[in-house]
Amino acid sequence: MSKVVKAKYTAEAVPGFTHRTALEEAARCLLCHDAPCSKGCPAGTDPAKFIRSIRFRNVKGAAETIRENNVLGGTCARVCPYDNLCEEACSRCGIDRPIEIGKLQRYAIEQEKLFKMKTLKAPAKKKAAKVACVGAGPASLACAAELAKDGYKVTIFEREAKAGGVLTYGITPSRLPQAVVDHDIAQVKGLGVKFVFNTEAKAEDLEDFDAVFVGAGLWSANLDQHNFKGAQLKGVYSAIDFLKQARTKKKDFSPGKRVIVVGGGDVAIDCAVTAKLLGAEDVRILYRRTIEEAPANINEFHYALSLGIGVTTGLYPVAAKGTKTLLKTVEAAGFYDKKAKAEFSADTLVFATGQSPEDMSKIGDLDLDHKGRIKVKKGGKAGGKFFAAGDVVNGGKTVVEAVAEGKEAAASIIAYLEKKGVK
Amino acid sequence: MAVKKDLSLKYLGVDCLNPFFLSSSPVGGNYDMVAKCYETGWGGCFFKTVGIFVADECSPRFDQTNKEGLPWVGFKNMEQISDKPTEVNFEYMYRLIRDYPEHITVASIMGSSVDEWKKLAKMADEAGAKIIEGNFSCPQMTSHDMGSDVGTNNELVESYSRAVAETVPHIPFVAKMTPNCKNMEEHARAALKGGAAAVSAINTIKSITNVDFENNTGMPVVDGKSSISGYSGAAVKPIALRFCTQVQQDEEIQRMAREGKWNFGYGHEMSGIGGIETWRDVAEFLAIGCRNIQVTTAIMQYGYRIVEDMASGLMHFMEEKGYDHLDEFIGCALPNLIPAEDLNRDYKVLPQFDDKKCIGCGRCYISCYDAAHQAIDWNERKRRPELNDNCVGCHLCLNVCPVQGCITPGEIKWKVRDKDGVAVREAKDPTHIKFKKDSRKDKKLSLKAHYE
Repeated sequence: MSKVVKAKYTAEAVPGFTHRTALEEAARCLLCHDAPCSKGCPAGTDPAKFIRSIRFRNVKGAAETIRENNVLGGTCARVCPYDNLCEEACSRCGIDRPIEIGKLQRYAIEQEKLFKMKTLKAPAKKKAAKVACVGAGPASLACAAELAKDGYKVTIFEREAKAGGVLTYGITPSRLPQAVVDHDIAQVKGLGVKFVFNTEAKAEDLEDFDAVFVGAGLWSANLDQHNFKGAQLKGVYSAIDFLKQARTKKKDFSPGKRVIVVGGGDVAIDCAVTAKLLGAEDVRILYRRTIEEAPANINEFHYALSLGIGVTTGLYPVAAKGTKTLLKTVEAAGFYDKKAKAEFSADTLVFATGQSPEDMSKIGDLDLDHKGRIKVKKGGKAGGKFFAAGDVVNGGKTVVEAVAEGKEAAASIIAYLEKKGVK
Repeated sequence: MAVKKDLSLKYLGVDCLNPFFLSSSPVGGNYDMVAKCYETGWGGCFFKTVGIFVADECSPRFDQTNKEGLPWVGFKNMEQISDKPTEVNFEYMYRLIRDYPEHITVASIMGSSVDEWKKLAKMADEAGAKIIEGNFSCPQMTSHDMGSDVGTNNELVESYSRAVAETVPHIPFVAKMTPNCKNMEEHARAALKGGAAAVSAINTIKSITNVDFENNTGMPVVDGKSSISGYSGAAVKPIALRFCTQVQQDEEIQRMAREGKWNFGYGHEMSGIGGIETWRDVAEFLAIGCRNIQVTTAIMQYGYRIVEDMASGLMHFMEEKGYDHLDEFIGCALPNLIPAEDLNRDYKVLPQFDDKKCIGCGRCYISCYDAAHQAIDWNERKRRPELNDNCVGCHLCLNVCPVQGCITPGEIKWKVRDKDGVAVREAKDPTHIKFKKDSRKDKKLSLKAHYE
């Protein structure tokens, strides 16, 4: 009998470092001359510098380094694919195993909160130029923070009632607690960035702004893949709907007894974990390819497995069947193995097979590709006063990449406004 | 079949099961504790110091230093001598000596006058002690007539040693020395002159471990205040080894011991104390001539059970070296510890870098540049160090490298001197010069953990 982990939906799955264990881990760091970890961070969080600060007992300095370089430092500490980035680059891999950089970052940010530090400050004298950001997800938050630090007046338009985008309405709270997201967003608010909630920005709302950043993310579900039949049945969800319902309704949201999640990315695992933690008995991830091909972080697969979630590879759903409107069974077919066939009982079927942008033409005259994503030049330039970054441009990558792109776009916006002569 | 070696030896004429003793401290403060330590494998115990003075202790009384998250690198205590009535302590010792006749229960005593020393010596004799230790070294006594203030006063050391030696002439007296002194040898000579059989060292070092910024005082904090007090543990081992070596190398001390009544053919019989945790620490103290070793701090951290690995590890070491008895290597390092002016300065050993083991952290480069001779160039593309001609063979790089066996002692370069003795150039292979190489050079040995 395997020992299966029992966890709560809203409780953070991995415990953090204490002061002592953080120091022990920082002591393992080799403090490299040309630290490859720092080169490995897309957002420029500079782990080499903040780990050295922890090693020399300057915990506040560590938090300051993280926050100055990455306004979503607390969030990235939880959701970054470290094993493909800084930790993969870590020189210590040549001896045994990398430094747990993510956990050290989390520790430093936890200390920042405990000490009620206010690291980021906007200049008192504001610049005349006004910038609007569409969407309050990671890319917009990073962009807005950079602009506010430089003295620009920034307004973020958000359709939902809360900021965070996928951080608040997507990723499962056992991986990313809401308090962590809120603490990061509080830093952005602390810079004087204005948030306009429950407002879907349209072209006319953006007329008064000198520059517009679009970080609207991907919020349109792809349910009609592979000629799938039965998508209209009750119990069939897109990942974004499923996660959003769970995050807003929490324990009042019941996924039923049997849940099938389709997909092989981190979002699929988030959905499966969410279903399990909300009480589903039998949760299965259905992925058409092999585990090696799956884009999800292997540690997330391990975590799902530890909760008792199964992974079935090689199959994809072809039809959902039910009584009139209610989902009963899911039929699947082999992806590589053409002979393979299966039928599963299911109360809930979640498609975590990627999302698309919504109609971006409402925002302004933007150049879109065939998938509806915004086409940009280097630095997120989308033409004229428009700039864009994050999932709506890259088609759905990591939070840290959205932060990196948001920061780059902010630099482009500053250069654009300075060139235009807006003071 | 487990390795079994005879660890017994004679210390001041007394047969000991092994050299592992508890030092006079809280770890040996009553009957049950000491009985347990004997059952665990300790050969003897310097029972917690007894005085006429009964200590009134403060709370809390300990603090510790740490480095890179590693606790107990050093340990500070503010305890004095026993806080139990004098008679109760001697009663414990009497019962221990009666119930554990093969184990050596040493009476550690501390008086504040000649009369008190005499009285305590007599009580120790009545309890049956085969050895008495005089505590001349506790640095945190609340009276200046006792402890390390006495230990640095040669007249007092001599007269108190005499008081004990004359009261109980049939019991060897060990004077415990303080490291809080300018020159331990002169205080050791004073003790021997007064009739002490030998000295033990070191007691704790006066210290302030940490400053508390809530109360702006040292640690531990007692009602908003703190005091200077004794430091011990792994951090002090190098200092203890130094003091023991200097005492053992002092010709006058050795002469006095050989000519005195407590001569058993070993010269001065040192008891080594200070930061001992492992068999290797024990072997090191034996190598510089100690015939007995005492431990407290490591027991406070880990318990009596550490003696199991001390004994087993020491036996394996002896097996490896081909020793059958401790006497075969006691003092073996003393002849090779020489004054700096006598060291061979005719050559340098260049470091050798193993590019395959190297992980490219660049620590050798940083340390060599910032703290040595800028002898390492950094190849940014390969992320590898490259030695240049500036190298003086100091081996800072080797000491700072985090990868085992990556930087090792390599090529030897000899200095060629002119007629005035000034080094003018280097030569590769002067085969006519014989010298002993650094044992770490032997790659086979470098793989064995305890040689690192």
